[in-house]
Amino acid sequence: MSWLSRQSFLGADSDERLAGLMVAIGGLGGGGSHVAQQLAHVGVGGFVLIDDDRIDETNLNRLVGGTRQDVIDGTLKVDIAARVIRAINPEARVTVVPRKWQDALDDIRGVDAVFGCVDSVRAKDELETFSRRLLIPYVDQGMDVHEIEGGFLIAGQVVLSMPGGPCLRCLGVVTDEALDEEARNYGAAGGKPQVVWPNGVLASTAVGLFLQTMTPWHVSQHIGECLEYDGNLHTMQPSDRMRRRRDRPCAHKALADLGDPMFDVRQIVTAAKASVTVQPSEALVPERRWWTRFFRMRSQ
Amino acid sequence: MRIAVRIPSSTLATMRADLARPHPYAWERVGFMAAAATSSPGELLLLVRGYLPVADDDYVAAPGVGAEIGSEAFRKALQWAYRPKSALLHVHTHHGAGKPGFSGVDLRSGGKFVPSFFTTVPRMPQGMIVLSDDSATGLVWLAEDGKPAPIAAFTQIGSRYRRDWSAS
Repeated sequence: MSWLSRQSFLGADSDERLAGLMVAIGGLGGGGSHVAQQLAHVGVGGFVLIDDDRIDETNLNRLVGGTRQDVIDGTLKVDIAARVIRAINPEARVTVVPRKWQDALDDIRGVDAVFGCVDSVRAKDELETFSRRLLIPYVDQGMDVHEIEGGFLIAGQVVLSMPGGPCLRCLGVVTDEALDEEARNYGAAGGKPQVVWPNGVLASTAVGLFLQTMTPWHVSQHIGECLEYDGNLHTMQPSDRMRRRRDRPCAHKALADLGDPMFDVRQIVTAAKASVTVQPSEALVPERRWWTRFFRMRSQ
Repeated sequence: MRIAVRIPSSTLATMRADLARPHPYAWERVGFMAAAATSSPGELLLLVRGYLPVADDDYVAAPGVGAEIGSEAFRKALQWAYRPKSALLHVHTHHGAGKPGFSGVDLRSGGKFVPSFFTTVPRMPQGMIVLSDDSATGLVWLAEDGKPAPIAAFTQIGSRYRRDWSAS
């Protein structure tokens, strides 16, 4: 009997299948720390953990695995997540990237899925676009607390964004208005309200959608999914917008828009031939990132 | 260099359906995939953009192998792969189950025509793939005068994510 024997319904070879997967988690705060913990529990074997932030006292109300000692030590959030994962599965293959996700492209490129657990709308948009260009399933989650007359409103969503299916723009998660508002508020002091239980609900749903895609326990005929969370009623509902868009091609990210637009195989062949003679000073010159160039072009 | 290929399940299904159609005199159908590319140190990733069937009229009778595709089929495929610049992957199926293998004829003819794709799209790798009903085998050339390298991983992305090219 193995530590995963109670989940054998996920498929006859699910232990090996899950152990062989590599996932990237962008953002290891309130949402991503839940996702990392749950994926470790189900036996996912490979992780690329991306976050340049360190824990502070205000994270203790929701960051899974974070301790008061971590706050004193100023521990990186990726190191906390790695510690949680390894405590559950010592054989997990964990790569920590304490940088922005744009500086982790070589680590993300080969993964089987990307989890976007980032607050920024622009970061969601860019992570999804990057994942689509590489035919990688992208799972996004987000929540907000809004003050309304007589109380507060908790709302959120989980999106499984698959190549060819509706994207975050189709589903209204990414809008030009939200991007503009975010740009206007860039650098504004104070953090958004965040609490642990909605993050847990959303992360559990995200992990469920991921497992439904990776294992045969329940075969959905749909390409992608969007579920909306009402934190006041404690319900998760299929998105009406997703229902309307489901059988229509994505209007924003064409299925054929893939890969590196500047790719040139001759550079690989030349680099391989030159690798034995490269000078140290040349090797230290950072290559220009196609992804950086790509977004620069998009924003013009 | 490790080479991996990813394809949308919908494209794979379209391709399998086309290759399974009987032809008036050719023993097996062939087609082409166009693929984008990206790389990281030690790895080349090919991302299939689409599938181009070979028209019935573009097969020509050939002694010993039943039929082969004519120059017009190659011209159409290269035209298709020219913009946007795409790797061109020749594909056919041997049906059956398990890991398929290229025949001697496949390797001899492919060793001639695949490197010729570099003349039209020199900046992209080129290759050929053979399918069974649940798997695939492939070779990729990085340069016209180089030796081909095997494709190490095949992945399909649809309502299910699979590390094989079986029919979903």
